[in-house]
Amino acid sequence: MAKIEAAPLLAIRSRRLEGLRREERTLGIAMLAPALAYIFLLVALPFALAVVLSLTNSSAGSLDFSFIGLRNFANVVESPVFRRALRNTFVFTFVSQLTVIVLGNVLARALMKTFRGKSIVRFLILMPWAAPISLATLSWLWIFDSTFSVANWLLKVSGWLGPGQWYYWLGDPTLGMLAIIVIHVWRMLPFSTVILLAGLTSIPKEVHEAADIDAAGPFAKAFQVTLPMMLPLLTVAVLFGVVFTFTDMSVVYLLTRGGPYNSTHVLASLAFQEGVLGGDVGRGASIAIFLLPVLVVMAVLMLRVSRRTEVL
Amino acid sequence: MFNRRQFLKATGAAIVAPTILARRASAAGTLKVLQWSHFVPAYDQWFDPWAKKWGASKGIEVTVDHVGFADVVPRATAEVAAQSGHDIHMFIGLASAFEEHVIDLGEVERTLEKKYGPQVELAKRSTYNPFTKKQFALSDMWVPDPGDYLKSVWTEIGMPNGPVTWEDLVKAAPEIKKKHPEMQIPIGIGLSQDIDSNMAVRDMLWCFGGSIQDKDGNVVLNSPETLNALDYAKRLYSVGMTQAVLSWNAASNNQALNAKETSYILNSISAYRTAQDNKLPVADDIFFTPALKGPSGIQLASEHVMSGYVVWKFSKNQDAAKEFLVALVDASRDSMTASKLYNFPSFYGAAADPGTAMNKKIESGAAWIAKQCNSDPFGSKPADKLAGLAKAQPWSTNLGYPGYANPAEGEIFDTYVLTDMFAKAATGALSPKDALAEATTRTKQIFKKWREKKMVGGGAKDR
Repeated sequence: MAKIEAAPLLAIRSRRLEGLRREERTLGIAMLAPALAYIFLLVALPFALAVVLSLTNSSAGSLDFSFIGLRNFANVVESPVFRRALRNTFVFTFVSQLTVIVLGNVLARALMKTFRGKSIVRFLILMPWAAPISLATLSWLWIFDSTFSVANWLLKVSGWLGPGQWYYWLGDPTLGMLAIIVIHVWRMLPFSTVILLAGLTSIPKEVHEAADIDAAGPFAKAFQVTLPMMLPLLTVAVLFGVVFTFTDMSVVYLLTRGGPYNSTHVLASLAFQEGVLGGDVGRGASIAIFLLPVLVVMAVLMLRVSRRTEVL
Repeated sequence: MFNRRQFLKATGAAIVAPTILARRASAAGTLKVLQWSHFVPAYDQWFDPWAKKWGASKGIEVTVDHVGFADVVPRATAEVAAQSGHDIHMFIGLASAFEEHVIDLGEVERTLEKKYGPQVELAKRSTYNPFTKKQFALSDMWVPDPGDYLKSVWTEIGMPNGPVTWEDLVKAAPEIKKKHPEMQIPIGIGLSQDIDSNMAVRDMLWCFGGSIQDKDGNVVLNSPETLNALDYAKRLYSVGMTQAVLSWNAASNNQALNAKETSYILNSISAYRTAQDNKLPVADDIFFTPALKGPSGIQLASEHVMSGYVVWKFSKNQDAAKEFLVALVDASRDSMTASKLYNFPSFYGAAADPGTAMNKKIESGAAWIAKQCNSDPFGSKPADKLAGLAKAQPWSTNLGYPGYANPAEGEIFDTYVLTDMFAKAATGALSPKDALAEATTRTKQIFKKWREKKMVGGGAKDR
C-alpha cells in the first residue's frame, strides 16, 4: 500500500525538482548572458574583425577593403621597425615583470611588519595604481626630458654626472627603453604588492611555527614553505602582469611615441601608429595579430592555474 | 570588394543598429564642428563665439569641440568607422586619406574663388586630388614655417641676420658652441617623431633637390639628391646637435629656444608668442629668417600648419556646413588677427579692403597682410620683426611637393618614414645609403597600396 501511495509523491517531487532545475538553468543563462554578450561584442567580434582586417588592404579613411592574402604579414616581417618592436615587446614584458615581482615581494614583506606610518606608506604605494597614466606619464616626461631632465639634475647635484655629461633618456634607444620600463614598473608595482601581500597573509601562522619547530632555516622556509604556498597567487600575479604588459602601449605612446627613430616601439604602439595614425588598418591589424600566440599561451596557462588551484 | 559594415552586419548587427539610430536622431538646424586646440590659445577664444554667433544669425545651433592636434586623425578615424560624429572636421595636415568619406567641396571653392580670386597654390595642392579630381577639403588658413633664431648669439658669430643657407648652420654650430658652451643644442632642428621634425626633414630634402614623389606621383625618393641631404644631416648633427633632438615633441624646440638652450629652430611664430605672453626677456632676442637655401639655391620650407576642413558624407547638415566654411573664409582678417598673425589666409583676396575691385583683391589682401606683419599689433620690438613672414609665400610649399598632397604622402608623414630615415643617417644608426634603402622600401609599399585603391597616380617612373 505504502509503495503504491509513494509513487505519485515521488513523481510530484521529481517534477518539482525538474522545474527547479529548469528555473536554475534559465536563471544561470540569464545571469551569464551579460558577461557572454560583453565577451562576444567587445572581445570576440573585434578580434574576428582584426583577423579579417589583417588580410585586407583596409584603411582608416574607408569602409571598403579587398582581401590581399598574407601581404601585410610579409611586409611587416620584412620591416626592421617591426622586428625591433617585437624584440622590445619581449624585453619590456620580461624585464618589467621580473622587476615588479622582486620589488613587489620586498614591499609586501615590509608591509607585513608593524611600523609607524604604515598606513601612509601603504597609501603612497597604492598611489601609482590610482593615478591616471596619462597624467603620471606627463610628470615622467618632465623627469626624463632630454633638455630639462629632473633626473639628470639630481644626478648632477649628487655628483654622478660631471661637467658636460648628460643622459638623453628619451633620445637614446637603450635609455628610452629603460625609462619606459621604469615607469611601467612604478605603475604595476602596487598591483603586484597587493596580491603578494594577500598571499603572504593567507599563510597560516601554524605553518611557520611548524617549520620553526622542525628547525627550518630561512632559505628552507622561503623555498619549501612560503613559496609553494604562495605559488598560486604568484602565478596569477605574473600571468595578469604579463598579459597586461604585453598588450600595453600607453607608456610608450605617451613617453617616446616609439622614438628615437622608431626604436622603442612595442607591438601595440606600432600597431596603433601604423593602423590608426598612419591609417593603414590592415597593416596595423597584422602587427597586432603577432600578440596572439603569446596571449593564447598565457590564457591557457591562466586557465590551468585557475583549475588546479581553484583560485579564480 | 567587402566592407567593414557588411562584415559587422553579418556577424553582429546589434553593434551597428544603435549607431544608425543615433545618427538619424541628429537634429536639423545644428552644426557640429571639430577643431584642433590652436597653438595660439587666443584664436580659440575668438573662434568659438564667432562660430556660435554665425550660427545664431542663421538659426543654427553651432557646437565646437576641440581636440589636441595629435588627436585630429584618430578622432576622424573613429567617426568614419562609426559613420557618426561631427559635420565638419578640421585637419591640420592632410585630410586626403579620408577623401572617400567627405563630400566634394568644389562648389564652395568655386564660390570663394569668384568672390576673392584664387587661393594660394600650396592650399590648393593640399586640398585637391588631381587624380580623382575632387576638392576633398577646404583650407581657410596656412601657417609659414620660418627659422627662429637668437639674434644676440648669431651677432656674436658675425651673422646678425641669422643663417641664409643650410651650410651656414654647419659653419655656425662650432662657433656658437665656442661662444656659448652652456648651450645644450646649438642648432635645434628636430629629428624625432613629431610634426615639426617631419617638416624640418622635408625642408632639408627639398632644398637638396630630393623629394618623395615627382609632380606626377612617381616615387623618386631613391636619388643622389636624397643621399646628399642625408650626408648633410649627418654633418650637421655631428657639429651642432645632440640626442635631445631625437626625442623632441612639438613643444620641445619652442621650450629650448625660449630657455636659450638652442639658437636656431624651424617653427612658426608660436615660440615667440609664448615668450611674449610669458614676458620672457628672450622674446626681444628672437628674430626670423626665411627658408634656408640648399647647395643649388633651392629655397623651400613646408607650411607649418595647413587647415583642411572636410564635411563628412554622413553629415545631415551639409548645406549649413558649406555656408559655414564660406563664412569662415570671409572672416580671414579676424582669423589672422585673433591668432596673433599665426594664421595666414588661404584666400589672400579675403583679406582685401572692403570695396576693392575683383582684379585687385589678392593684391589688396597681400598688402593688408604685409601691413600687419610690418607693424605687429601684438607688441613686437622692433614692430617690423615679422615683416619677412609677409614674403613667405614664394618659399613655402605643400606636403607632397613637387606634386599634390595625397594619402600616400599623408601616411608617410604620419608614420614618420622620413624622420626615421634622417635620424638613422644622422646618428650613424644606419649608413645614409642603408637608411635610404629602408625608407624607399616602405615608401613604395605605401604608394603601391594607395595606387591599388585608385587614389594616387604615377608609378611608371618609380625608382
